[in-house]
Amino acid sequence: MPLLQLNNVQKSYQPGIPVLKDINFTLGRKECVGIVGESGCGKSTLARCILQLERLDQGEILFEGTPLQDKGEREIRPYRRHLQTVMQNPASSLNPKLKIRHSLMEPFRQYGAQVSLTHFRHGTEESMARQLMEAVELSPDLLSRYPHELSGGQKQRISIARAISLEPALVVLDEPTSSLDVLTQMSILKLLDHLRDALDLSYLFISHDLLAIQALSQKILVMKEGQIVDRFDKEGLFADERHPYTQQLVSLFDRTGVHHES
Amino acid sequence: MTLLSVQNLTVQAGEAPLVSNISFDVQKGEWLAIIGQSGSGKSVTASAIGRLLAPNLKAQGKALYNGKDILQLGAKEMRRLRGTSISYIFQDYQGSFTPFHTIGRHFDEFLKAHFKLSKARRREMAEQALESVGLQPEMYTRYPFQLSGGQLQRSSIALALLTKPDLVIADEPTAALDSISAFKVLRLLADLQQETGCAMLFITHDLRHVRKHADQIIVIKEGAVVEKGDKQSVLDQPQHPYTRALMEASPSLSAASQLLKGDDTACLYCN
Amino acid sequence: MKSGLTINKTCATKVFLSTFLILIASIAAYTFLILKHDPSFVDLNERLLPMSWQHPFGTDHLGRDMLTRILLGFQLTVGYGFLALLLAVAIGVPMGVIAGFKGGLIDRLLMRVADAFLAFPDTVVAIVLSGLLGAGIENLLLAIILVKWVNYARLARSTVVTERQKDYITMAKINGLSEWRIMLKHLFPHLIGHILVLASLDLGKIILLISSLSYIGLGAQPPAPEWGAMLNEARPYFQTVPALMIYPGLAIVTVVLFSNLLGDYLRDKFDVKKEVAE
Repeated sequence: MPLLQLNNVQKSYQPGIPVLKDINFTLGRKECVGIVGESGCGKSTLARCILQLERLDQGEILFEGTPLQDKGEREIRPYRRHLQTVMQNPASSLNPKLKIRHSLMEPFRQYGAQVSLTHFRHGTEESMARQLMEAVELSPDLLSRYPHELSGGQKQRISIARAISLEPALVVLDEPTSSLDVLTQMSILKLLDHLRDALDLSYLFISHDLLAIQALSQKILVMKEGQIVDRFDKEGLFADERHPYTQQLVSLFDRTGVHHES
Repeated sequence: MTLLSVQNLTVQAGEAPLVSNISFDVQKGEWLAIIGQSGSGKSVTASAIGRLLAPNLKAQGKALYNGKDILQLGAKEMRRLRGTSISYIFQDYQGSFTPFHTIGRHFDEFLKAHFKLSKARRREMAEQALESVGLQPEMYTRYPFQLSGGQLQRSSIALALLTKPDLVIADEPTAALDSISAFKVLRLLADLQQETGCAMLFITHDLRHVRKHADQIIVIKEGAVVEKGDKQSVLDQPQHPYTRALMEASPSLSAASQLLKGDDTACLYCN
Repeated sequence: MKSGLTINKTCATKVFLSTFLILIASIAAYTFLILKHDPSFVDLNERLLPMSWQHPFGTDHLGRDMLTRILLGFQLTVGYGFLALLLAVAIGVPMGVIAGFKGGLIDRLLMRVADAFLAFPDTVVAIVLSGLLGAGIENLLLAIILVKWVNYARLARSTVVTERQKDYITMAKINGLSEWRIMLKHLFPHLIGHILVLASLDLGKIILLISSLSYIGLGAQPPAPEWGAMLNEARPYFQTVPALMIYPGLAIVTVVLFSNLLGDYLRDKFDVKKEVAE
């Protein structure tokens, strides 16, 4: 049984203007599926639908075989622990008025008592906080700082630590690197790659950066105007049978990569 | 022929230098890229040349534009220079447009300020400019919020090139766009540069954005130049480890799978 | 940079000085004078006396000790002002938070009511209401609460509406926090600063409102030693014994000034821009 399965998902905010049209795909355990598309193609809406922040117009979202789309907020709550996310803007995904420790430990405080952890040692809030900071390669000194005292990359690491703190089954990565500079982008990608292996995570990786998508994911979906226009394993990116839009993306990105002509 | 010659430029905030002793030349019609991470001082350099520094920052040194030191120009001369010879494209395209004025009104006001033209002629010029960046002339009557990020950045490029300047200073023009729109805007900018023959001072943090179009590259770290030279020599034989790190973070697409594997990244950009 | 710091420091000093003075005054009221004089003890033999050791501020037209009345007036005027403010905040803030967070019908309903109150100046609404309900300090308080809660509801709502769209609220939802907990844990911390600033500035306005309505006879009734009411009582003696008007007047000015200084100080302290710049 796949971890996540989307069947015929449709969504529109205004009648007659569909944002998502007939989205179908599955995501297996320990798999990373990448979704690439331009801004406005509906990929963030898709993320919000999977995270149960939006109601679907039609279709179903199965999590380990259980349909989530008809559940109320109270019934969804037990599943939220397994559906975590890292968002694009590290500046706004942490409450500026709260210390890092407080934001980081929010999921643990909410669910910590009920869950059993396999990779982290279940312990006090303080010991959990230290383990998480270690996992994302940050100094525990940062715990008593406020968000504005941290760099963008550090804040993004905190968001990642928060997302993995309860060892979720799926982490939806919604443009986690897009607002960072290239060197930080690469260190975050490396961290995500490492954590996936260490914690047996599955990722849904959403980005407009084909390079980052190609680096991290095994399967790639190409989205355009609310539809999935192309899907392939990452080895197949350069294949001839690719959709013209995919080929256009490849040519845009490949001509700009740094490599020797000779 | 040297269009702009920056000599020993230092920018200070109080006692702390943000940029120290930077020197470089921009030749006529050349594309010069300044690369650095956020906080490296690359934007401050661009602002200093454009005399757009925040009031608490002080610039020293020289920035000779056709032999005249921009840093010493009076307000009136500076305004004339900005209107005709030097223009800017900013990262924050939303901030570049007044939200309650139409796109057309921005063009109109700019033309009115710098030229004596009839109303019909101004409109004609603005619509031509919009078309030259691949936008419909109908955009003239639209408001900024009705346009996408890419469309707005195209409009600001059209606005910047309206007076056929000799030097365009582009401060991370693509950083706020998604990378697909960014590459499209970048290609447009390159085409227009070819067409008009203007020189380009292009500020970016992403080496991928300069590889195709730049002639010269300057790498800045912590306010100082760590490497400079023509594109091919910088990319083929990067001298400074920082430049190499930047290159490793921007491999070609076909090398992307190896991006995260191991520390030995030497072969990453040998396609 | 430097000048900004000095302004802040002088401002803080002023606030602390004022607080200190008022504290001393109220302590003094309780420990020495109340035992000495009854604020409503009428002694027509001692009316309109000048300053003396026995009566440091003299006596009024009915022979009551002025200092005792001024200090008790502090308790009355500032105490009622504070009470009205507290209730206005306690009603307004939750209303605003709920309206802002829930949106929809509740929001529209609450905000139209708020708009209706805002359409008239505070003083006019307060006069009309206490006129309708009848003179008396309780009715005046009710009127003040009715006109003031609106400000807090609007402030809380606008803050919540801005913050509600931020990613960290979404994250809190994803992390399983209920709506009430999100409001309590994530939204209230953003409100405290704004509310404190507005409230301390409002305290002065409310005290002025109580005093001015008492002066025209709609608030506290004689013989209550409310400053506005005292001013009213002293009117016939304005030319002969101006001290009777000067003392309550000075008291009002001091407290209102203190409230404004406190407001300015808090505004600087909670200035978001400054926080980022540091």
